[in-house]
Amino acid sequence: MSKLSNIWVFSDIASRLPEMIAAGVALGEKVSTFVIGTEADINAAFSYGATHVYYLGDKDSQKITEDYSHTMAQTISAAAENTLMLLAPTKRGKALASKLGVQLQAGVVNDVIEISIEDGIRAKHMAYGGLAIAEEKINSPVAIITLSSGAYEVQAADTARTGEAVSVAFVEPASTIKCVERRAKQGESVNLGKAKRVVGVGNGIGSQENLQVAAELSALMGAELGCSRPIAETEKWMERERYIGVSGVMLKPEIYFALGISGQIQHMVGALGSQTIFAVNKDKNAPIFQYVDYGIVGDVNKIMPALISALKA
Amino acid sequence: MKIITCYKLVPEEQDITVAADGSLDTNKAAPKINPFDLCAVEAGVQLKSLIEGCSITAMSVGGKALENPKARKDILSRGPDDLTVVIDEKFEQLLPHQTARVLMAAAQKSGFDLIICGDGSGDLYAQQVGLQLGELLGVANINAVSKIISAEPGKLTVERALDNEVEVLEITLPAVISVSADINEPSIPSMKTILAAAKKPVTSLSATELELTEFPALVELVSVIAPEQKARQKIVIEGDDEQQIAQFAEHLRNALN
Ligand SMILES: Cc1cc2nc3c(=O)[nH]c(=O)nc-3n(C[C@H](O)[C@H](O)[C@H](O)COP(=O)(O)OP(=O)(O)OC[C@H]3O[C@@H](n4cnc5c(N)ncnc54)[C@H](O)[C@@H]3O)c2cc1C
Repeated sequence: MSKLSNIWVFSDIASRLPEMIAAGVALGEKVSTFVIGTEADINAAFSYGATHVYYLGDKDSQKITEDYSHTMAQTISAAAENTLMLLAPTKRGKALASKLGVQLQAGVVNDVIEISIEDGIRAKHMAYGGLAIAEEKINSPVAIITLSSGAYEVQAADTARTGEAVSVAFVEPASTIKCVERRAKQGESVNLGKAKRVVGVGNGIGSQENLQVAAELSALMGAELGCSRPIAETEKWMERERYIGVSGVMLKPEIYFALGISGQIQHMVGALGSQTIFAVNKDKNAPIFQYVDYGIVGDVNKIMPALISALKA
Repeated sequence: MKIITCYKLVPEEQDITVAADGSLDTNKAAPKINPFDLCAVEAGVQLKSLIEGCSITAMSVGGKALENPKARKDILSRGPDDLTVVIDEKFEQLLPHQTARVLMAAAQKSGFDLIICGDGSGDLYAQQVGLQLGELLGVANINAVSKIISAEPGKLTVERALDNEVEVLEITLPAVISVSADINEPSIPSMKTILAAAKKPVTSLSATELELTEFPALVELVSVIAPEQKARQKIVIEGDDEQQIAQFAEHLRNALN
């Protein structure tokens, strides 16, 4: 695969930056990273392999990150080269991607799982709720991609690495959005995507009391507890960070155990990366059984307590 | 306040089948309103109930499916006052940057204070249309809106649930917002609203009427193919007697060790 001479990189969330830079290093000779933050953030970018840092200044509580789109677009277009911009696949990353797409007349693809540079830039992403993979070819001189996690191996940080840092002046956006408040999200942070074992709970669990039973079973298995979307979004019994699927978390565990989950594709696509899949569902025609290694047709109310005693024994 | 809520018709996922070569067959899948867009329409309807003198136009761009009277009634039964559809054969498989350009032309023609879109659609889930539309129109635009806090002339206050923080934003109108699926629980149309929907006005526009000539193909769709699935054991025990559960527990224990 050929490399581009320069790749632009940005992540609004510090923890996602190393992976974006790793992709930049794999795909380009030069990796130019936009940084909003402190000197420590600039040094962190270099330590992960950025060759150039374009510094947009300190975090400013009055501004939203999206307000920097014009600043980024000007910097990128001033470089006048065929290039690729990689962004973290966050909500902000996607907002920036679309804004830059219009400002730079550039093709955009979101949530990309694979990039190839052969004749032009091609990007793959999931479509139809995970049923299929769509491949898109970007024809514009600048290509913009938000990159899913897991696509590139992160390099260990090396604090000895440095590079060239340039300060960029802020370009005022035309439209007006004012941030009047910002607060950290409630709830613990979990990283289901890294868990070795995951128990997923669906609508079939029936009650919040039963959720406790599922949690006990999950703890006995040494697993993290996750869920299907309705449990997080409709019932609100678990945090959004815990729902598995195309619009939630993508798993790669050794074991995934689905309890009372129907197994619709939008959920399953998040679980199909599991090595072994177990499921309990009372409906023998539930789609989940097409994807299992081991399944049992039965009632979770009966099976969960029995499994708990069996695992304790 | 003049609100436009955008929607897309997408094939019902449950009825899409995968052919042996991995291609998708959507022939048996009836078109339905993209579920995320139902939230956008509902957000418009809720906003209208808060503001006096507010109208809602539903708007969509696409091919022949938009001619279907049932699909038109479906969207109108959810609360919009009227419907504008832009139909053209070449709009059958538009990519987001192109959809945004057609919507821009239609929105400029009708005028608007606020455009509400869903964050993405169930088919390509490109998550770009609302943002690109706002950017093309040169108005304030933002995605991931999870709550509309208040609306007053010329200004909207919204909450945005991001990956690790929540933002409260004041947005100057005109604007385009894209809403996330958790903003509301779309209501189910009643018989009364379904009957009323048939009487609501529909405007059908063509590419020519919008003076849309060529627009760029910044991106091309190369292929849509179902990935090969990992082979699974598919050992399914039927029944939850003590013995059957014990058998299942044994498989689980083996996997855990
Ligand atoms: C665009 C789009 C994106 C989506 N993204 C996601 C996503 O990322 N993640 C996600 O999870 N969903 C997603 N969904 C929703 C998805 O399509 C399903 O609606 C959802 O996964 C269903 O959740 P469920 O299986 O828990 O509930 P249900 O479909 O209600 O199924 C419950 C199951 O439990 C079984 N059951 C009931 N009682 C018992 C019992 N006592 N014992 C044993 N089994 C029992 C039933 O037989 C049934 O199969 C998305 C949908 C769309 C349209």
